Amino acid sequence: MTAEGAMANQYSVLEELGSGSFGTVYKAIDRSTGEVVAIKHIDLESSEDDILEIQQEIAVLSTCASPFVTQYKASFLRGHKLWIVMEYLGGGSCLDLLKPGNFNEAHIAVICRELLLGLEYLHQEGKIHRDVKAANVLLSSTGKVKLADFGVAAQLTNIKSQRNTFVGTPFWMAPEVIQQEGYDYKADIWSLGITAMELANGEPPNASIHPMKVLFHIPKQPAPRLEGSKFSKDFKDFVAQCLVKDSDRRASAKELLKHRFIRSAGKVEALQELIERKQEWEGGRTRPSHPRFYEETLNTLSHKVEPEEWVFDTVKAATVAPRKGTTKRRKLSVIHANGQSVSAGPEEAMKRLDLKDSPLDYSSPPPLTVKKSTVRKQPSIMQLASPTKTRQPSSQKKPLQPDMNFGNTGSTVRLFRRVSDNSTLAQVDSDVSNASITRDENRPPMSETASKESVLGRRVFNKVVDPAFQEIHAQTGNQAKREALSRLADAWSALDAIDPDGEYQLLKAMLEKVQGDPKLSSLLSPAKSLSRDGTPQPSLQKSPTKLVLAQNNPHLKSHRRRQTSMAPDGEYREKLANLPGQAITGMEHTKQLADVLYGRWADGLRNRWPAV
Amino acid sequence: MSFLFGRRPRASTVDLPKQAKELIVKLDGPAGPAKAEELAKTLSQMKFVLQGTQETESSPEQVYSLVTGLIQEDLLYLLAVNLPRLPFESRKDAQVIFSYVLRFRPHTASPKSEPLALSYVINNRPEVLVELCNGYDHKESSTAAGTVLREVLKSDTAAAIILYDDPSENGPGPKGISGINPELKQSGNGVFWKFFKWVDSEPFEVGADAFTTFRELLTRHKQLVAQYLSTNFDLFFDKYNNVLIKSDSYVTKRQSIKLLGEILLDRANYTVMTAYVDRGEHLKICMNLLRDERKMVQYEGFHVFKVFVANPHKSIAVQKILLINRERLLIFLKHFLEDRTEDEQFMDEREFLIKQIKNMPPTPVEPAQKPALLASQSR
Repeated sequence: MTAEGAMANQYSVLEELGSGSFGTVYKAIDRSTGEVVAIKHIDLESSEDDILEIQQEIAVLSTCASPFVTQYKASFLRGHKLWIVMEYLGGGSCLDLLKPGNFNEAHIAVICRELLLGLEYLHQEGKIHRDVKAANVLLSSTGKVKLADFGVAAQLTNIKSQRNTFVGTPFWMAPEVIQQEGYDYKADIWSLGITAMELANGEPPNASIHPMKVLFHIPKQPAPRLEGSKFSKDFKDFVAQCLVKDSDRRASAKELLKHRFIRSAGKVEALQELIERKQEWEGGRTRPSHPRFYEETLNTLSHKVEPEEWVFDTVKAATVAPRKGTTKRRKLSVIHANGQSVSAGPEEAMKRLDLKDSPLDYSSPPPLTVKKSTVRKQPSIMQLASPTKTRQPSSQKKPLQPDMNFGNTGSTVRLFRRVSDNSTLAQVDSDVSNASITRDENRPPMSETASKESVLGRRVFNKVVDPAFQEIHAQTGNQAKREALSRLADAWSALDAIDPDGEYQLLKAMLEKVQGDPKLSSLLSPAKSLSRDGTPQPSLQKSPTKLVLAQNNPHLKSHRRRQTSMAPDGEYREKLANLPGQAITGMEHTKQLADVLYGRWADGLRNRWPAV
Repeated sequence: MSFLFGRRPRASTVDLPKQAKELIVKLDGPAGPAKAEELAKTLSQMKFVLQGTQETESSPEQVYSLVTGLIQEDLLYLLAVNLPRLPFESRKDAQVIFSYVLRFRPHTASPKSEPLALSYVINNRPEVLVELCNGYDHKESSTAAGTVLREVLKSDTAAAIILYDDPSENGPGPKGISGINPELKQSGNGVFWKFFKWVDSEPFEVGADAFTTFRELLTRHKQLVAQYLSTNFDLFFDKYNNVLIKSDSYVTKRQSIKLLGEILLDRANYTVMTAYVDRGEHLKICMNLLRDERKMVQYEGFHVFKVFVANPHKSIAVQKILLINRERLLIFLKHFLEDRTEDEQFMDEREFLIKQIKNMPPTPVEPAQKPALLASQSR
């Protein structure tokens, strides 16, 4: 691509606007037209498997052309950065504009009407936004309202078809999305209703409830209502029309455009008041920092980047909360003219920190830790042999107490989605550093886990006990039962921390007892589960920062499908099981590439000999 | 306007393909813009007939008559050719029309049978598929064409049409499925080979979409691809190595190295793999990747490199290269991506490779077994 850079040179990049869900967003000027644009920079070198997902987002974006949707302009590569050029909206997001105070009804009516027009367009295009919330509603400086952030938007191939994917941000999610009973474009209408309440009250309903609990709450409780004498009857009714739990009875965008609350709405120019209000409010405060300017360094040698940053846990630019006062402040993204860009500096340090140091610190996760992790699905013969990634001895973490910062900040959704996308494997490696210690035979084991039994004990916890707890916990709806389960899990985790040896013996004894009882052994059949040990098993593990998905979650299912398709066919695996070195429990990973390749060669030979 | 549609619903369904054809032909004429506008209306009407609206279901009879009408008027071909020239919204309508029509089975047909229009295209009008591929020539049409293609490529016969398209003979262009001879080497002028150019194109969404389709072509129908790669081994890997692996585009380079690893390690491609790792020049390319300054390129390269080293029947050429570089490789591998400490599989494999290289006999040994593929050819 010799023209690479030509497209980039068309833009002068100015200051940083913020960190989006995938990367950093800059303000820029299109030199050929003088037009101000927003450019999202995504560092592809720091993402393992994401190119396809990004491509899908662009595909949705590039097929939208509506004055109510942020306009996609172009995307191109510059070295290993992808630049996505979008329409620039100077007014900021509604979430930002809420900072000085709640919106009044007249403003909300205008915003809702514009959003309905945007949704009407998308829905008739067969697209579902799936993440309508104040943070994703942008205003131009003249007051135009536009839907933004298509990171999780879905394209329906048929207007009547339904989606089954679990995405969105909990507080704004429609009941049918949470229950995964199939949903369509009506899900966006629910989210619009919640957004209207957010604009009126400063936060969505149930904001004080933990996002995990909200997921149980929304389908069970009656739909939220706008309350208080300060709101008009029309407004209350509009919200009620959006928040109908039965999606079939919920109004469509087209119908809602005829609602009295919407018909009486004023002009978009009125929204400039909100922008001015925000500017005054900011003027009254000490400016937090200088704008961060984009800096292009000419011809710097690409220095060696510490590779931890892309090893397994890809920490994307903060998607959850602004990292005020952190090292990020002084960060200047560096892009080299030769295209070999290195985003050096504190952000990398953060990532490294996060990877290296913080896995031990689950109790106080910084917002950053809600992160996406990609697991490499490398086609490998080793896959047959290497066991599922195990988790670290989890003495430091509190099981079953997810600490997620899902909330009214940033686009948490994508993380949400990604966690579910990558499911367990992704979650697992957030704590690999310790795991490798217990599992790498070439390293001296940690002193307290010196015996083989204790290594196995850790393995028992990581692969059996903990995932089992997580799974059952996720399936348990009753609060009291959940708590009891939680306490047991805590207790077991304490045992794991202090005495993995004993832990192993305990499970061993339990298994022996089970096998001793004919009825139980036939029912529980532990042999089966053992034989599956060598395959990557999507158990429902989670680290505290991640969301556990219900067993029947389609993401998990598809993940399992993927996992199984990655795994070799059963017959082949059986053959492997007979090879030397395979039989030692807990040592599967020592099986070497040679065995597998040799097996493959032998296979190939066998296939060809009959023909010769 | 809507009262007009209401008055002549049934009659117009039959006329739609004809109407559209007349308009498409005149797109280049003096009244082009006006015709485009009219065409847009016709296409969106077709879309509604096919998929219904939010208020009304589509009727199977109408769909059937529309599908047969489209075939009769050869509109699928015309639409494919003119896709980039359609107005913005019409391109999306065309995409929907293609997807529906190529999926459509009359309700009397068995659900396993090939859809009516797709079967027609495969047997009688393969140019439609070729022209859809050519949609990658324009950024306007790439997304719509790509979406339709990936849907169609679920059929192995459709994939075969694209793989085996070879207009070099003075023949009339692509042959239907019956005209394919898998034993025959490709000239490299077929539409499949254009993907090597398309995956590298700007803007990003065009190249990325083309790569997704390219990957689908090479991984979905394993037996088909294994045979294809065996027959066209030299041409394919010559292009693959020189155009894709050596591409200046980070994404093309990285994705294609990864795809190479996937292809080689697919069991269906066993013979292709043995032939690939037999060649010294392939190993050289691969070893250079290990030294690329971008870590993800190094990493992807490693997963190809390991296949060479793990091969128990290394060719003399491969052994020579490895032996000359033995000490360098051992030092290099020891520290290669050493921060990747959380990647167990990688570390195990790296360890294994070091051991393999260390244990190689000091002088090249004639391999006990030679790759079956191309055994007769001079190497």
